[in-house]
Amino acid sequence: MTPEAIVAIIASGLVSGSLYALMASGLSLVWGTVRMFNFAHGALVMIGAYSGWYISNRGGLAKVLQPIGRNIANNSEDWGLIGDILHPLGEWILSIKAGFGLLLGVPLAIIFCGIAGYVIYIFLVKPFVGKPGADLVVIITTIAGASFMQNGVQVIFGPRYKQLDRILKGPPVEILDTAIGLQEVLIIVLTPVTLLLLNLFLKRSKLGLAIRAVAQNDDFARLVGINVNQIYPLTFVVSSMLAGLAGLMLGGLFFILPTMGSEPLLRAFVVVVFGGLGSLPGTIIGAYVIGLIEQSSAYVFSLYWAPVVLFATLILVLIFRPRGLMGGENS
Amino acid sequence: MLFQVENLSSGYGKIDVVRSLSLHVDVGEHVGLFGPNGHGKTTLLRTVSGLIPVNSGRVAFRGEDITGLDPRKIVELGLIHVPQGNQLFPEMTVQENLTLGAYVSRTDKSKASNFEKVFTLFPRLKERRSQRAQTLSGGERQMLSIGVGLMGMPELLILDEPSVGLAPLIKEELARAISEIASSGVTMIVVDQDVELLLGICERLYLIEKGTVSLETTDVSQVDQAEILEMYFGKVS
Repeated sequence: MTPEAIVAIIASGLVSGSLYALMASGLSLVWGTVRMFNFAHGALVMIGAYSGWYISNRGGLAKVLQPIGRNIANNSEDWGLIGDILHPLGEWILSIKAGFGLLLGVPLAIIFCGIAGYVIYIFLVKPFVGKPGADLVVIITTIAGASFMQNGVQVIFGPRYKQLDRILKGPPVEILDTAIGLQEVLIIVLTPVTLLLLNLFLKRSKLGLAIRAVAQNDDFARLVGINVNQIYPLTFVVSSMLAGLAGLMLGGLFFILPTMGSEPLLRAFVVVVFGGLGSLPGTIIGAYVIGLIEQSSAYVFSLYWAPVVLFATLILVLIFRPRGLMGGENS
Repeated sequence: MLFQVENLSSGYGKIDVVRSLSLHVDVGEHVGLFGPNGHGKTTLLRTVSGLIPVNSGRVAFRGEDITGLDPRKIVELGLIHVPQGNQLFPEMTVQENLTLGAYVSRTDKSKASNFEKVFTLFPRLKERRSQRAQTLSGGERQMLSIGVGLMGMPELLILDEPSVGLAPLIKEELARAISEIASSGVTMIVVDQDVELLLGICERLYLIEKGTVSLETTDVSQVDQAEILEMYFGKVS
C-alpha cells in the first residue's frame, strides 16, 4: 500500500466515521434515556439535508418567494402607506434570488430538525411511554413515520436529486500528494468540535446533567425532582439536531434523495451495538473504527466486500465482548 | 400536622400491598417504621413520594393534598425520599450526584451552603467528590444517598433502610450522622429493620405488618426486644 493510498483511506474513513458518530451518538442518547430505538433517525438526516437545501438553494424557498416579491415591488406604489413599508421587503426578496445561502440554511435546518424530532416524539413515542412492550411498538411507529417523511418529501420536492453547495470553496488540501476536498476536511474537523460541545452540554448544563441522570437511574431522577416527561422530548430534540447536522454534511458530499438516510442509519445501528449500547464514548470510538474498517476493506478487497468485513468484525467483537466495546453493566 | 396518611391503599397492578394504612408526623418529629420484609414499607414510601399511583386514601403534606401528585411537585414541596439500596447515579461523580440533589429551583439560593453542610456531615464525601459513585464503598454510597437528599432541603426527610447491608462500624458512623441531622431540626421518617438504630433516633415508632400499622408506640422504652423478635419470627412454641 502506498502512502498516498493510506492517507486517502484514513481521510475517507474519518469522513464516514464522523457521519456515523453524529448519527449514532443521537441514537445512543435516545436509547440511553428513553430506552427506545428511533427508526425515523435516518429520515431526520434526510430532512436535515432537504431543509438545508430548501433554504439555501436558489431552486428552493427563494424561487417560491420570487413571484411574491415581484408582486410587492411592482404594485406597492398603489397601496399607500402600507405599500411604502412593504416596498423594501419586496426589493429584498427580489435581491435574494440566489437563495438564502448556507449561513442561514445550516442553522435553520438544524432547528427545523429539532422541531421535527419533537413532533416525532409527541405523535409516535409519547403515547406509548411506560406501556408494556412500548419499545417494540415504537420501532413500528417510527418506521411508519420514516416512511411517511420519505414519501412526503418525494411528493413535495419531486424525484430529481438535489445537492447542497459546498460550504468552503477552494482547491483541495494536499497531504502527502493526496488531495482531500475542503468539504471532507470540514467534516473531519467539525464533527469532533460538535461532539465536544455535546459532551460539555451533558456534563456542565443542568439539563444535560438531568438527561444523564434519567439515563442512569430514572426512579432516582424522579425523586430528586427531575421532570422525566420533559427530559424524554428534550433528548429527542438534541438527537434529531445531530441527525440534521449529519444530513447537511452528507448533502454536501452526495446527492440528496428521500432514501439517503436509510443506509447510514443501518451503519449507525451497527456502530451503537459495536460501541456498546448507551455508552456515548463507546459509540463515538465505534463510529470511527467502523468508518476506518469500512474504507480500508473497500480499498483492500472491494466495495462489495466492505459490508462483509464490517459485519464479520462486529460478530467477532460481540463474541468476545457481548456488550460491545464499552457497554456497561446496565446497558 | 406536617404529614398525614389516611387509609392509604396502593400496590402493583390489582394487588394492594399497602392496605388502608394511616399515620402522621408532626413538625420536628422523628418517626420510625419497622416490620418484616415484604409487608409494604417501601411500597408505602414509593406511593407517598408519587412513584406509584394511589388506589384509595389520601396523603397530605404541609396542609396540601399531595395524593397522586407528580413526584417532581412533591419534591418541590420539600418531601424528600432517599430510596432503599443506595440508589444513585452510578456513573456520575459525587459532586454531580449532589448537584442533582439540588435540582429543584427552591434550593438554588442556598446551594453552596448546602454543599458545605453535607461535606461537614460526611467529610469522606468531600475527599471523594470527583470520584464516580459506583466506585464508592457501600457505606459511602449510603452517605451520598442521604447527602443527595439533604441537598434538596427537606421539610420532611424519608430514609428507607439506611443501614441495610452495612458493617457494624460503618452502621454506627451512619447512625451518628442521622442523629445529627435529626437534632438539627429536620423532620424525619426512618424505615429500618434495625429497631435499635431507630430507638436511637426516633421518638415514635410504627410497626408495619401486612401493609398496615399494627402497633404505634410513643414510649419507646415500651418496645420490648423479645416482643419484636416474636413479631419478626412468630411465637416460639
